[in-house]
Amino acid sequence: MSDALVSISNVRKRFGDLEVLKDINLAVGRSEVVCLIGPSGSGKSTLLRCINFLERYDSGDIVVDGKLIGYEDQGGKRRLMNAGVLREMRKGIGMVFQQFNLWPHMTALENVAEPLLRVQRMNSTDALSKAQKMLERVGLEHKAGNYPTALSGGQQQRVAIARALSMDPALMLFDEPTSALDPELVGEVLQVMRDLAAEGMTMVVVTHEMGFAAKAADKVAFLDGGRIVQFAHPQQVLKQSTEPRVQQFLKTYHARNDF
Amino acid sequence: MHFDLVINALPFLFKGFGLTLLVSVMGTVVGTVIGVAICALRWTSIPALSRLAALYISYFRGVPLLVQLLVFYNFLPYAGIDLSPIAAAICALGMVGGAYMAELLRGALAAIPKGQVEAGVALGFSPISIGRRLLLPQMLRLATPAMTNELILLVKASSLVSVVGLAEVTRVSQTFAASTLRPMEFYLAAGAFYLVTNLFLAYCGARLERKMARR
Amino acid sequence: MDMNTLLSYLPALGRGLWITLVCWLVASVGGVALGLVIALVQRSAAAPLRLLIKFYIEAMRCTPLIVLLFIVYDGGPAVGVLLDPIPAGIVVLIIHGSAYFAEIFRGGFQAVPAGQIEAANSLGMPPLAIVRRVLMPGALTAAMPSLINMVINVCKETALLSIITVGDLTFAVQNMAVETFAAFESLLALALGYWLLIEIFSRLGQRAERRINRHLRLRGATGKGGL
Repeated sequence: MSDALVSISNVRKRFGDLEVLKDINLAVGRSEVVCLIGPSGSGKSTLLRCINFLERYDSGDIVVDGKLIGYEDQGGKRRLMNAGVLREMRKGIGMVFQQFNLWPHMTALENVAEPLLRVQRMNSTDALSKAQKMLERVGLEHKAGNYPTALSGGQQQRVAIARALSMDPALMLFDEPTSALDPELVGEVLQVMRDLAAEGMTMVVVTHEMGFAAKAADKVAFLDGGRIVQFAHPQQVLKQSTEPRVQQFLKTYHARNDF
Repeated sequence: MHFDLVINALPFLFKGFGLTLLVSVMGTVVGTVIGVAICALRWTSIPALSRLAALYISYFRGVPLLVQLLVFYNFLPYAGIDLSPIAAAICALGMVGGAYMAELLRGALAAIPKGQVEAGVALGFSPISIGRRLLLPQMLRLATPAMTNELILLVKASSLVSVVGLAEVTRVSQTFAASTLRPMEFYLAAGAFYLVTNLFLAYCGARLERKMARR
Repeated sequence: MDMNTLLSYLPALGRGLWITLVCWLVASVGGVALGLVIALVQRSAAAPLRLLIKFYIEAMRCTPLIVLLFIVYDGGPAVGVLLDPIPAGIVVLIIHGSAYFAEIFRGGFQAVPAGQIEAANSLGMPPLAIVRRVLMPGALTAAMPSLINMVINVCKETALLSIITVGDLTFAVQNMAVETFAAFESLLALALGYWLLIEIFSRLGQRAERRINRHLRLRGATGKGGL
């Protein structure tokens, strides 16, 4: 476990009466790509969002790059982590959202440069040139001056990926990155993600794209009802699983998608 | 009716209306500044400040404008402050405008998808940066069509600032109405000034709204 | 100002408050009623009439209330319209307010999905029944917050009546302020008085809103009211 970039132990979370995460244990090694799959309501997005503490987990430990996130354990008592310290930790974790969440009043270039200017306090010239390089990395340097409304969904998501990458994170989290895209646009985003994985980025991806999980992931975790039902190699989960819930899920999935 | 008397008085009426426009526009500017400040206070996590902001909005929207002006006008000598009529009018209008502006901005804030704030949080933005760089520009843009409503509101409100001693257009027409014994003509003239101006502002606001919708 | 002086003014203040409340009530009811009629007429009227109504509404929304009051009360006699202060004030408040109420009702009507009206029409419901059973419940639910807001505005507008010598609360307190030289304190108390009055009404309004919504939803949606 010491080699793991993200180590999740005995994590539980409730929303009111509903327990959405039940004793989750998961480890993500450096440069590993882990995909979280499962039916909606299974807790996969919640789990992902706990990793950068956008959601608070109630008990257990989530350790990112050797440091507990969200809480401070002092003398046997657990307190909420100081806001400034949490922000520091978040600089090392990049997140890509289902709804892209680009800022509409800024161009693509400005969107990518903004965290460099505000969070990393770079000067304007350095920030803009780095932002330009990031856009090149996702193949959108020619769209630098466009506002989000002038970009397709796939382009917007790629800009969002560039924005998250600009902070040079050690870990990238993807929350259903292609679920809001028209089918023809999914491919360009998945390609960027595959390139990222090939470069050695550590990634945790919540997705419904089984093809991506099968080919790009090192491990796949199937969640159902707040528990990890199976956590293993993609082939073992997607093709050879003996778990009934996994088989059931994949059957309905195939029925809807193999025509 | 004898509108020739009105024509003779036009220079004075225009001067009065100039003051109307001056204090209304300046009041809107001051009101915007105050409104942003109050909205920011509402948004902080310090309960005392948030409560204060809510009280401010509640007072200036809950008390009749006339009464507000009377209180303000009598407060000045009480506190030993000496303001010119124009400054007093701009202050009074700015304060009430600020309360309406804060509500307006709150509506604009609610229209911004929460995901954009989340993206900022995930990237490690501080709350101040989020407010200043991500939210405020959008809020002001969203609120711009409604700001013309704000201006219309203050133009109408300015009709009462004669209470603080300013000779704006309503007061001027009152004076002439009394001296010429021709109230109807002069008040219709005053009404015409307001009507034309506010209709124009309303038209601008509608056009702005349509432009916003396209973007 | 000592307690005795204050007590001596209580009757006058009480009368002022009473007049404020009466004017507020009559102007609100009148404004809502007239506004509703205008909104309904606007829905089914021919283009020229609709244009006229639109101009009327814009004129009322663009002109300061004080100017309207002066036109009717000070200017009225010149054209043969002689009204006492209170009737003049109430008439102006009703006419002015009806424009706002009409707009609020129009917004409420728009909030009712066209499909519901279409369904009623295709079922052969008579127009009056459609208004009563399909349009109004939905419109009222949507418009309730704005209606309450506007009624609160009418309360604030009654203060202007003091300028045309109506003996309302503002008028009474101003007299007291002038006579006792405790101007700032009296007027501040007046402001707090209105604030309190409006806070109370606002809370009551919210409660009424919830009750009415429940009532409208039960009778309209499930059809339990019987067609």
